Amino acid sequence: MVAHILKLKLRLLGNGFKRSIGQLIGVIIGGVYALGMITMLTIFAVVSAGETTIASEISIITGSLAVLGWAIIPPLLTGVDLTLEPSRFVHFGIPQKILGPALVLSGFISVPAILTIIGLIGASLIWRLEVAILPVAVLAALATAVMAILVCQYLTIMSTALRAKRRFRELTFALLFLVLICFGPIISSVASAAQSMMDWLAPLTNVLSYTPLGAAAALPGALASGNYAKFAICLVLAIVYLGGLYFLVNKATAEATVTPPPEQRAAKQSGLGFFKFVPASPTGAVAARALTYWFKDPRYAIGVLLVPVLPLIFWFSGNQSGDYTMMFLTGPIIGILLGFSISADISYDNTAFALHILTGVHGKADRAGRAAACFTLSIIPVLLAAILPGAISGQSWRIAGDLGLSLAALLIALGVASLASARYTYAVPLPGDNPMKTPPGNGVRVALTQLGTVGSMAVLLIPVLIPYVIGWIQNSAALGLVTLAVGLILGMTLLVVGIIVGGKWYEKRAPELMQAVMLNK
Amino acid sequence: MSQIALDIRGLAKQFGPKVAVNNVNLQVPTGSFYGLVGPNGAGKTTMLSMATGLLRPDSGQALVNGLDIWAQPQEAKATLGVLADGVRQFDRLTGRQLVSYSGLLRGMDRAEVAQRTEDLLRVMDLSNDGDKLVVDYSAGMTKKISLATAMIHSPKLLVLDEPFEAVDPVSAANIRDILNDYVAYGGTVIVSSHVMDLVQRMCTHVAVIAGGVLKAQGSVDDVRGGMSLEDRFVDLVGGRGNNEGLSWLRTSSN
Repeated sequence: MVAHILKLKLRLLGNGFKRSIGQLIGVIIGGVYALGMITMLTIFAVVSAGETTIASEISIITGSLAVLGWAIIPPLLTGVDLTLEPSRFVHFGIPQKILGPALVLSGFISVPAILTIIGLIGASLIWRLEVAILPVAVLAALATAVMAILVCQYLTIMSTALRAKRRFRELTFALLFLVLICFGPIISSVASAAQSMMDWLAPLTNVLSYTPLGAAAALPGALASGNYAKFAICLVLAIVYLGGLYFLVNKATAEATVTPPPEQRAAKQSGLGFFKFVPASPTGAVAARALTYWFKDPRYAIGVLLVPVLPLIFWFSGNQSGDYTMMFLTGPIIGILLGFSISADISYDNTAFALHILTGVHGKADRAGRAAACFTLSIIPVLLAAILPGAISGQSWRIAGDLGLSLAALLIALGVASLASARYTYAVPLPGDNPMKTPPGNGVRVALTQLGTVGSMAVLLIPVLIPYVIGWIQNSAALGLVTLAVGLILGMTLLVVGIIVGGKWYEKRAPELMQAVMLNK
Repeated sequence: MSQIALDIRGLAKQFGPKVAVNNVNLQVPTGSFYGLVGPNGAGKTTMLSMATGLLRPDSGQALVNGLDIWAQPQEAKATLGVLADGVRQFDRLTGRQLVSYSGLLRGMDRAEVAQRTEDLLRVMDLSNDGDKLVVDYSAGMTKKISLATAMIHSPKLLVLDEPFEAVDPVSAANIRDILNDYVAYGGTVIVSSHVMDLVQRMCTHVAVIAGGVLKAQGSVDDVRGGMSLEDRFVDLVGGRGNNEGLSWLRTSSN
């Protein structure tokens, strides 16, 4: 039975590659890149074996980073492959004694897991000169990899159970927020301590070696330094952590298989909401619908998560370095980000897009409505981000220029996105799915599309950038006004062009768009 | 006024090696209640998708009230209401918002949309659920609200793909009454269904499609030729098993 489930996972992995050539190429490029990193790490380990005095610290840091990465990145950021989540096995009545280990083991059948194992074993070659320690180091590397994958599985199961709860999502955001904000101070304190690296490396690794992050990875170091007491403690701790995690994962799987997925209760909304406030036209209706989705659909929230975080990051990094230049670029960056966010609009509609085709709504109305909704939501943050830095720093001469560049960025981004989203769709989380979940089939094509979209936004911004940059260098309010004028004229023109041409493309390709969203690609 | 509400001329569609719809010609007379029946995977949904502008055909034409849906999409769609099978709705809207949205998208004015939305919610027995998000609706309720979005602009032709699937008997009877009324006042309805009995009782005309090929079309009486529609259907389509299948499924054999 365990073998059956493992085979199922292998088959899923294989079929995932078959789904599209693009994805396969993406995996290969990613794999080659990761293999390159692993090779570098291994070469580094092989070369520095016996050459360095901090081999044990390096082992602990590498191991801890691997575990930490698995704990944070898949459950919170990229999402995980949930094809084998325990709640899918609710109907099968597989004994828990079999299902638990099977699901745990199946977690190891994935490209990142295999790469992690290879990488950690490669890194353990730093002990290659000490014959007695090398086997311990390899075993410790394996244990660390197992720890990483178990932590990831546990957190994933927990977050799956919790993901229906809006509160959990908000908590996740808050946590991410904190981490991001703390990034500046952490990096700067690390940097300032760089001279006395050993001063903080030793206590840090010492602490890590007693946590689940580094307990296993600390074993070879402790053995090499002859610190048998520490070796024993870390060994016991590693076994306890692994056993405990295994127990927890098993228990969580057992619970998940008998607990039906919690129902997501959405709030009622009386009356017509935004539909009351927009003009009674197809464009107005599309705008009202899109606005409703910006508030009701968590997938849209993810896209704009960076907007409040960005100024904070810039402010903190400015605080550390004393150079607040980036603050002045918050406006244009937010403008591009927000404008870009409608480039996946039709993909987010999924097959509900059929309503637009069946009603025969004009392409122009569809494009304009979506752009209007995004503009309505974006204009206040963009204005604030453009005006406040200049006003607060007392450089009122630059406000017009900042305003011009920011508005141009928003308008041009909206125009380009209106055009691009009528032509290119890509795989996105389905409506109602975990917004963090990475959909299958996201490969090079998506990256190229997004790169092309953002790239053309940047190129189109050049005519606005020229007076802006010169004005900045000369501290010229007049050139700022020129920037504002050029920005507004160019932005409006390109937005109108984007909507009209995008509308034409849309009408020509509506059935093909429908086929694409049906396959979610 | 064209006498043929939906004129399908040589529609064909191929997905890779599989021919889903093979050169189908079908004329749906104005004022008929037309049933489209066929086994699973016969190409019903593919054909209706091509006739309603959702899927581009490899070849052939579909004329809705005399207007080619692929040459004059906007004009043709103004007289057409569609309940598509297997597509989502904008389910983060409330039922009331969704029906209004469908009306406003077609450029109707607000007062009329509001009036008709309330009427539709009432006849679909959804008045009390109009403020709930569609995502929280049951399958049958979703079917009914989708039907409402297809009817708000009082189309001349209604194309309904599996309208009674998952709908409770009372609502199904209500919907049938609405559709009968609609046909009595000159509208045309096409429904696809697996339920032969229902089609035989409800429809004036019927077409049988299997393996992407049209096997028969005409008035219900002509097509069934004295047999029950179900028997005639099985005759046309074939593929009945010989009832020797799953001996181990008989619990008494243990």
